[in-house]
Amino acid sequence: MHEFSVALEIVDMLQENGYLSGVRKVNSIKLNIGKYSGIDENYLDFAFKNLNDERFKDVLLEFIHSGSDEIKIIEILAD
Amino acid sequence: MPEYKYNNSNRGIRGTAKESAITGCKLSSGRVLSVQRNALESNEIIAKKNRAKFGRALVINFLSSPGSGKTSLLESIAPVLKADGFKIAVIEGDVETDLDKKRIDALGVPAYQIITNGTCHLDAKMVNGSLDSLNIKDTDVIFIENVGNLVCPTSFNLGEDMKAVVLSVTEGDDKPLKYPAAFYKSKIMIINKIDLLPALDSDISKIKENALSINKDITIFETSCKKTAEAGISGLAAFIKNEIKRKTEDFRKINYNTYF
Repeated sequence: MHEFSVALEIVDMLQENGYLSGVRKVNSIKLNIGKYSGIDENYLDFAFKNLNDERFKDVLLEFIHSGSDEIKIIEILAD
Repeated sequence: MPEYKYNNSNRGIRGTAKESAITGCKLSSGRVLSVQRNALESNEIIAKKNRAKFGRALVINFLSSPGSGKTSLLESIAPVLKADGFKIAVIEGDVETDLDKKRIDALGVPAYQIITNGTCHLDAKMVNGSLDSLNIKDTDVIFIENVGNLVCPTSFNLGEDMKAVVLSVTEGDDKPLKYPAAFYKSKIMIINKIDLLPALDSDISKIKENALSINKDITIFETSCKKTAEAGISGLAAFIKNEIKRKTEDFRKINYNTYF
């Protein structure tokens, strides 16, 4: 269940790089998830909804699949 | 304006949002912010710091299911490398207990135990913390024994030079197909406990075929750590010695500033 760690890493990265500045709610996150990334999409979705961070409570994850091992955030939709 | 669907069909989640190709463009349903970054960027930054701290030491991150024989392999390899004058250090990762560290201590090899308290993998930050306590000065090779788990540890770069996946013959020949990420990301695969093959239906050629179907470049070793039937350890040790030599040469060639 390392998806919790991955979700926390994503939030940290977005926070540290200013993407969450002034954001009240993140509506969706578009991610590129590689076939060999070791990520279970359902667990990642579950992790975001249980982060104890109200901004991500209702976030919808959109996955794009690739044949690599990358986990890349493409874009977020935020209020 | 066109719409695109946010779809997580496995959980029955559906939603829509206004599409915008313009970064930061304000829409009625929110702002679309283009990110285009590695989701594990924070971990990658610390992994680079680890790599700088490792210096010229070769670092191998061992991945496997619990019970495949990672610690036994270290117990078999370490004396061979030590006998040839190589300095070794070990970072142990376990959910609970320092039992594995005690086994490494008994070999006279410096070791540090990371107890994750339930976390299913090591990350770069945990390893970075261990380097404050573990003396790796003049070390030739650092073995990181990750938490026994073939899924979670694969996502986290620790700053290692290579991942090595260990698979015991008791686990079945379909393991590479069931857990492809570990085999895709590893430079070597060690098929361990081959002394048990006569008692099993495992097909070692099938294990290799399946692993190579995931990663055609993976180098494969067959080993047994059993004292009375030790096999393949000298070959694995020879590979590690070559990699230590290669890393040392590469490190000398690269400008110091590249690492720092």
